[in-house]
Amino acid sequence: MKILLTIIIDLFFATGGFFALAGVIGIIRMPDSYCRMQSSTNTATLGTICVLIGVSLYGFFILNSVAIGVKPIVISLFILFSNPVASHSIAKAAKKCGVFMLNKSRVDEYGRDNPQ
Amino acid sequence: MLIYRVAKGPHAVDRVVAGDTIDSITVVIMVLYGAISNRGIYLDIALIVSLLGFISTVAISKYLEGRL
Repeated sequence: MKILLTIIIDLFFATGGFFALAGVIGIIRMPDSYCRMQSSTNTATLGTICVLIGVSLYGFFILNSVAIGVKPIVISLFILFSNPVASHSIAKAAKKCGVFMLNKSRVDEYGRDNPQ
Repeated sequence: MLIYRVAKGPHAVDRVVAGDTIDSITVVIMVLYGAISNRGIYLDIALIVSLLGFISTVAISKYLEGRL
């Protein structure tokens, strides 16, 4: 039983690490500011929340401590609520500053609806 | 690897996004260390670091928008 639980926790950690690495590589390699924002959101949601769920299972069932079990869930709920707000506000600020947008990926509905 | 983007980024937005990602990875490392060393205080510190990162991102974006 404990071996099965350890394997599940390791799978959560591996998924989180993979998505965090993919997000970092995307932030470095993407050609555009908006694509970089998308990679940042990828890291913050999937990478962080998978690792936090793994830590929560580890704290509940292996360490037998409720404090280490509950706090990662609180942190992941907070990230789940706060990250879209931050991402939206930074994207809106980027659009208002007139950050360079690639011609290839141009679907500019905000600029169409709110002409300057 | 992300510090490269913070140092290079062509616009301030890229630097803010890379800083936000550094913040969330710092939260993950703090939670993992707190679980390994069996101390609950690191999880509180991670919660506060995540909250400060969110507030700083929103404040910088409001400043870039020109409404601060």
